[in-house]
Amino acid sequence: MAEERPYAWRNPWFRWSIVSLAVLTVASFLIGFIVLPSAQRDFTTGDFWETICRAAGLPANWGTPPPSGDRAPSTTVILAPAMGVRGAGDAVGRGATIAVQQCSMCHGAQGASEANAPNLAGQYPEVVIKQLLDYKHGARSGSFMQTLARNLSDQNIDDVARYYESLPKARTAPARYDETSAPALVRVGDPLRNIAPCIGCHGGTDHKFGAPWLEGMPKEYLLIQLKEFQTGARRNDSHAQMRNMTRQMTPAEIDQVADFYARREKG
Amino acid sequence: MFLARKLVLAHFWVAFAGFLLAIILGEWQMYVRSPLHAWVNNPEHYYRSVTAHGTVMAYVLPTLVAMGFGYAITELSLKQPLIGVRWAWAGFWLVVGGTVIAAGTVASGQASVLYTFYPPMIASAFYYIGVVLVVVGSWIWVALMSVNLRAWRNANPGATVPLAMFGNVTGAYLWAWTSVGAAVEVLVLILPVALGLKDTIDAGLSRVLFSWTLHAVVYFWLMPTYIAFYTIVPRAIGGRLYSDTMGRVAFVLFLVFSMPIGLHHTFADPQVGAGFKFVHAAMTAMVSVPTLLTVFTITASVEIAGRLRGGVGLIGWIKALPWDNPMMLALAFSFVMLGFGGAGGIINMSYQLNESVHNTQWVTGHFHLIFGGAIVIMYFMIAYELWPQLTRCAPLPQGLIKAQLWLWFVGMLVLSMPWHLVGLLGMPRRMAYYDYSDAALHPQAWTVVASTFGGALLVISAILFVYVLARARPVGAAVPPFTFSMTAHPGERTPALLNVFGLWVAMMIGLTVVNYGYPIAQLALLKDTSVPAIRIGGP
Repeated sequence: MAEERPYAWRNPWFRWSIVSLAVLTVASFLIGFIVLPSAQRDFTTGDFWETICRAAGLPANWGTPPPSGDRAPSTTVILAPAMGVRGAGDAVGRGATIAVQQCSMCHGAQGASEANAPNLAGQYPEVVIKQLLDYKHGARSGSFMQTLARNLSDQNIDDVARYYESLPKARTAPARYDETSAPALVRVGDPLRNIAPCIGCHGGTDHKFGAPWLEGMPKEYLLIQLKEFQTGARRNDSHAQMRNMTRQMTPAEIDQVADFYARREKG
Repeated sequence: MFLARKLVLAHFWVAFAGFLLAIILGEWQMYVRSPLHAWVNNPEHYYRSVTAHGTVMAYVLPTLVAMGFGYAITELSLKQPLIGVRWAWAGFWLVVGGTVIAAGTVASGQASVLYTFYPPMIASAFYYIGVVLVVVGSWIWVALMSVNLRAWRNANPGATVPLAMFGNVTGAYLWAWTSVGAAVEVLVLILPVALGLKDTIDAGLSRVLFSWTLHAVVYFWLMPTYIAFYTIVPRAIGGRLYSDTMGRVAFVLFLVFSMPIGLHHTFADPQVGAGFKFVHAAMTAMVSVPTLLTVFTITASVEIAGRLRGGVGLIGWIKALPWDNPMMLALAFSFVMLGFGGAGGIINMSYQLNESVHNTQWVTGHFHLIFGGAIVIMYFMIAYELWPQLTRCAPLPQGLIKAQLWLWFVGMLVLSMPWHLVGLLGMPRRMAYYDYSDAALHPQAWTVVASTFGGALLVISAILFVYVLARARPVGAAVPPFTFSMTAHPGERTPALLNVFGLWVAMMIGLTVVNYGYPIAQLALLKDTSVPAIRIGGP
C-alpha cells in the first residue's frame, strides 16, 4: 500500500476536515449575522447592510451623541494625574500669598476652618484644582467662591492647591476601622443599596484620585454637601458618583457619616 | 531510562508548594467572608488574597505541571533522552523567578487586580513582569517539545508518534498560540500604563485580547488530565485503550476549537458585536465534542477492564471494576465532576442562558468544579504515577491516597454546589463582604458556611497529598519501567493526518483570524476609547 499523504485533497481526512470546518464557520456566521438579527426587532431598524454592521458591533449612528437634554454637563474638568504631583517651593510660596489674601478669612490661616468652611490643610491638590475650576466655570455654585474663583488664573489655582497640600492634614481616623470605631456605612457601605464604603475612596482602605480628604471637616459643611448631592442641588461630581452614593442614604445615616468625619483630633 | 528526573521533580515540587499555599489562602477567603468570622474590615486584604490564589492556581500550578509532565512524557514515551535540558532548566528558573516577583508584588499589596487583570485597574509593573516571565519560561518548554518531537521523527522516519507525546505537543502548541492574546494585552496595552508612560487604557480592547487567552487556557490546563485519561488510566486499572485514534481526534479538536471561542466571556460587554458573540457561542459548543468523545472512549476502555476482570452483563462489568485502585476512584470522581461542570459550562456558553448566571457565584462554582475538581484530581494521579519513577521510592500508600481523593471529591462538591445554588439566586462573585444582617441575604448565609467547610476538606486533602509525596523515600531496588496504556487494537493504523500538526495548527490560526480579526481590528482602530487607569496600591 502506498504511503498515505496527509496534506492531499485525495486524503479523506484532509478533505472532510477542511470542508466541515468551512461549513461550520460559514453557517455560524450566516446565523449570527443574518438569520438571528433579522429575527430581532431592534436589529432590523435599518437595511440589510446595516443589520450586518450592527451584528458586527458597529452601530449605524456611531459618533452621534445621545440627546442630553438642556442640562449642562455636570463638570468639564478632566482630572489629570499631573494635578496630583507635589508642587515646587516657589509654587507653594506664590500659593501662600494668594491664600493669605483671599482664602484665610474663611478657611483659616493654616487651612483649618473655624467658620464651617471646609478644611483645606493637606487637601489633595487635584481636589482643590477641580473645585476651583468648577466654581470658575459655574459647575459648582456658591456666591463667594464663584466670585473669587472667577478672578483666579489657572496658574493661581494651581499654586493655591500646592500651598494647601503643603500644610499638615487633620488626622482623626481610628487606628483600625472596625465595628466599634466607625459606622457601617463608612467601613463597608451597603452593597444591597449600592452604597460603597466611604473609606474605599476617601482614604482608609484606598484613596481614589479626585476624592477629597475628609477627616476633621466641619460637620455642618459635610451635612450640607451630602444633602445637596442627595437632592441634586450640587452636581459637579464626575459620573454622578456622590449623587449615586447619597441617593439612598437616610437623614440619620447622613448625620452619622458627617459626625464621624467631623470628629476633632484627640488631645 | 529516565534522565530528566530532577528537572521534572523540580517542576512538580514548585507547583505543589505553590498549590498548598494558594489553597490555604482560598480557605481563608471563604472563612473571613462567612458568618463564622467577623468581617476583616479591609476588602483590599481579601482581593490581595484572591489575586495570589488565582495567579498561583491558574498560571503557576497548571503551567508547571504541564511542563514537568511534558518533559516526563518526552523521555518515557519517545524513549530518548530529553534534548535541551539546559534550556529546560532556564525555562524552569524563569517560571520560578517570575512567580517570586509576581507573588512578592501581590503580597506587598501593589497588585490586587485579580489574576484576570481587569483593566482599567492597573497594578505595579512588577506583577505583570512576573507573569510575563512565567509565560516566557513556558514558551521555552513549547519550543523544546517541538524540537524533541522533530528529533524523534528524524530518528524514526514514518513511525507514528506515541499518543501521550501527540497530546503533549498538542497542549504545547495550544498554549503557545493561546498565550499570545494576554501577552499582547500586557505588553502593548497594560505595561506602558503600569510603567507610567500613559495614563489611560483601552479597557474594551484589553478585555477582548484577554478573552483570547482566557478560554483556551482552560484547555491547556485540561490537556495533562486528558493525556492521563487516555494513556495512563486504562493501563493503571488493567484495561486497554479502546481507541488510540479517538484520542488523537479529541486532541486535534481541542487545538482547533478551544482557541477562537473566548468571546463567550464577554457576553455582557457592549464593545463586542452580537454576531461575533453568537459565532463564538456556537464554536464553544463544539468543544463539548472532544470531551464527549473522551468520556465515551474512556468509559469503553474501563468497560474492557471490567470485562477482562470477569464482569458480565449490561452493568455487571461496573461491579467487577477495581474500585480499590486509586486510579479507578480518581477517574470516577473526575468524570462525575466533569459531568456537573460540563453541564454548567454549556449553560455559561449559551448566549441567552448566560444572562442569568453572568458574574454570579455560579461561575466561581463552575470553574472550581471543572478545574479544581475534574482536572486537578488527575494532576494528583499524574504525580502519584510518576513519583516512583522520579524518586525511586517504594509504592505509595494506597490507603492514604484513597482518603486524599475522597476528601478532595467530597470537599469540592461541598464547596462548589452551594456556589451554583446561590449563583442562580443572584449572588454576585468577587464580593469581599456580605451583609448577613440584611433580610435578603440572611437566608443564604448557610451556603457560605457550607462552602467554608468544603474548603476545609480540600485543605486537609491538599496537605495529605503533599505529605504522601514528601514522605516517599528512595529504596535500593530498581523500580519497574513506566508504561503507557496499550490499545485494544494494537495493529490499528493511525491516519497520516492524525500523526502531524500542520493542518490543525493552520486551522487554529485561521479560525482565530476569522473569529477575532474584525473585533480586535475594529476596537484597535476606534479613537477615543481609552479610559483613565485606576492604579491599585497607590498612595
